[in-house]
Amino acid sequence: MNDLFNWWAVPAIVIPAAVAAPAQAVQYFTLEQARRALFPDAAAFVSRPVELNQARRDLIEDYSGVRLRAEHQPVWRAETDGRLLGWFVLDEVYGKHEFITYAVALDPAGAVRGIEILDYRETHGGEVRDKRWQAQFLGKHYGDSLKLGASVQNISGATLSCKHITEGVRRVLALYEAALKGEADR
Amino acid sequence: MNLKTFALAGALGAALGAPPAHADENLFGYLSGAETLPQGANEAYLWVTHRTDKGIGHYSAYDVTAEYERGLTSRLTGALALRGQSIDTHGIVIDGYLPGDREYGLRASGLEAKLKYKFLSPLIDGLGLAGTVALEHNWLDPHSGRDKDTTSLTFGMQLQKNFLDDQLISVANFAVESAYAVRKPIADLPPGFDWPTDPEMEIELTGGAGLTYRVAPRWFVGAETFYQSEFETEVGQERWSWHAGPSVHYAARTWWATLTWLRQIKGGGETYPGQTDTHLHLVEKTKQEVRFKLGYNF
Repeated sequence: MNDLFNWWAVPAIVIPAAVAAPAQAVQYFTLEQARRALFPDAAAFVSRPVELNQARRDLIEDYSGVRLRAEHQPVWRAETDGRLLGWFVLDEVYGKHEFITYAVALDPAGAVRGIEILDYRETHGGEVRDKRWQAQFLGKHYGDSLKLGASVQNISGATLSCKHITEGVRRVLALYEAALKGEADR
Repeated sequence: MNLKTFALAGALGAALGAPPAHADENLFGYLSGAETLPQGANEAYLWVTHRTDKGIGHYSAYDVTAEYERGLTSRLTGALALRGQSIDTHGIVIDGYLPGDREYGLRASGLEAKLKYKFLSPLIDGLGLAGTVALEHNWLDPHSGRDKDTTSLTFGMQLQKNFLDDQLISVANFAVESAYAVRKPIADLPPGFDWPTDPEMEIELTGGAGLTYRVAPRWFVGAETFYQSEFETEVGQERWSWHAGPSVHYAARTWWATLTWLRQIKGGGETYPGQTDTHLHLVEKTKQEVRFKLGYNF
């Protein structure tokens, strides 16, 4: 058996590759940097997390058609002199192997005014940071069509990330409709 | 082909660092999904399959495949593969199939060229559908280890449906392989041993299904099963067998690995005299296989 295939070749490949594999996480923005990038004129960000009880979760899932896992949604009111500039919603969606952390900025009327990717830990699909791709979401409200391959163009090689971020934005717009819309004047 | 050199080259490549990986990881050992590589993306694979146990004597064979894939378009992937095998069998003589003891180390055994076209994306269209066509030529018989020229053309279809935010992935595969094979004569055959060297035609049908779930970041755990049947010129349905087993998949930034243990659950067709496991096909198949796949993106 001495000239048969040597199983040592398997760990010889795997172990060095595992040791040498670079760190997955790429942090493009901290929370503060993302808030500043999306609301450069804001003087303050007031934390307004949305508790997602079962009834609210059901409503948001019904509005968006997207599954909701979290029990609360981190949200901040962007303000200047007490005037509402919009909402900063922090969210996570599945990548192929890890979560993608991103943020959606909504104007006071609930329209998308920007998106930023904070943490991207995936092996591929980082093209979702492309502002030309993200521009497809600008101005979209709850009820507007947001479907990958139809109203939202796909990026070849980044399909999973494109799909989940598209669904995530749809869920954020449903969250606005279900929980933030009435908060605008408070 | 020197596998140790291949292994060292792979390890060195990883140690030097590499650009980000791309899609189309193999979540299963034997089945495949409906996704293709992005245009311009490259992937190198190394597969090792260990086949053991025919219920008599000693049988241990390794099949090795080194494959290169490239995304020709966003829907079309092309692949070239070099195959190798080693075998160590003794104490088994099966008339017409295994002429006697055979032992050798890794030898190049065949070449394959394959195209995969994605008709529907599982992520965009809801149900993924891909088709494959593969042309393969082998010059070693994987069962006996003897010289046998086999040229085959395989048409395959892959279906993929994702659930639970694409964390639960199901696939179904179907394939038809047509092969033209000629065995080379053997000088020292046992007396009366039948070893036909006339050309023969073989048709192999395969159907399978698999399910895998992302249990933790980077980790998928699942199971796969397939049924395979072969029809051959002289004996009609030569064999059929049903296999199943678990698969574990891990993905890092530039590489991924999949380990599958496959057990033959049931089988039939040709048997050898004195075969005790009569519910299995052990003439060409073994009781179990273990397959390890390593993919590297660049």
